[in-house]
Amino acid sequence: MQVQSLSRFRRTGNLEQMAWLFTRISALILLVMALFHLIYMHIALGMDAVSFQLIAYRWQSPGWRLFDLVLLVFGWLHGANGLRVVLDDYVRAPFARTVARALLLVVTATLIVLGAFVIIAFQPS
Amino acid sequence: MSAITGIFRAVTYRGREGQIAWMLHRITGVGVFLFLAMHIANVFTMIFPSHVFNSLAALYHSVPFKLLSIFGLYFGLLYHALNGVRVMIVDFWPGAGKYQAPLWRVQLVIFLFIFVPSAAVMLARMF
Repeated sequence: MQVQSLSRFRRTGNLEQMAWLFTRISALILLVMALFHLIYMHIALGMDAVSFQLIAYRWQSPGWRLFDLVLLVFGWLHGANGLRVVLDDYVRAPFARTVARALLLVVTATLIVLGAFVIIAFQPS
Repeated sequence: MSAITGIFRAVTYRGREGQIAWMLHRITGVGVFLFLAMHIANVFTMIFPSHVFNSLAALYHSVPFKLLSIFGLYFGLLYHALNGVRVMIVDFWPGAGKYQAPLWRVQLVIFLFIFVPSAAVMLARMF
C-alpha cells in the first residue's frame, strides 16, 4: 500500500520535475530568440514594414521558417505550461480544473498545428 | 476564497520585493501568452489572400497598438525575461537566495538600462 502510493507520488513528481526543467530550458532559448524577434521586428524592420509581402519574402528563406517554427513551439509550450501552473493556483474545484486543463490542451494543439502548418506549407504565389 | 478576499490578501500581504517580483512575473507571463495567441492566429491569415493579413496589419499599425507593443508587450516580455534569469540564478545557485531582494533591485536597474534606450529607438522608428 505504502509502496504503491509512493510510486504514484514519484510518477507525478517526475512529470512536474520535467515541466520545471522544460520551463528553464525553453526560457534560455526564448531569452535569446523571443527578445531578438521582437527587437528585430521593431528596430531593424520597423512595425510599419510588416505586411503580407514582407513575411512572404522572409519565408523564402528556410532559415527564417525554422526560426519562426522553433519560436512558435517553444514559446507556446512555455506559455501553456506556465498558464497550467497559474490555473492550478486559482481553479481548485476538480471538475473545473479538468475543464480548464482540457481547454488549454485543445487551444495548444490547435494553435501549434495551425501555426506550424502556415509556416511550413506557405507558398509564395 | 472569494475573488475579493483574494485581492485583499494580495494587496495587504507584505511579501515585499519577492511578492512584487512574483506578481509581476505572473501578470506579464499571462499577458504575453494572450498576445501570443492573438499573434499566432494573426500570422495564420498568411494562408489567405494578401489583403486579409494586410487589413489586420493596418490595425497593428494604429497608434494605440504601437504604444501597447512597446509599453505592454516589450515592457512585459523584457521584465519576464530578466526576472526569469534571476529566478534561475537562485534555482541553480541556492546561495544567491539570500540576496534575491538586492538581486531584484539590480534587475530593475538593468531593465531600465535596456528598456529606456531601446524603447526610445522603437518610438523614433514608429513616429
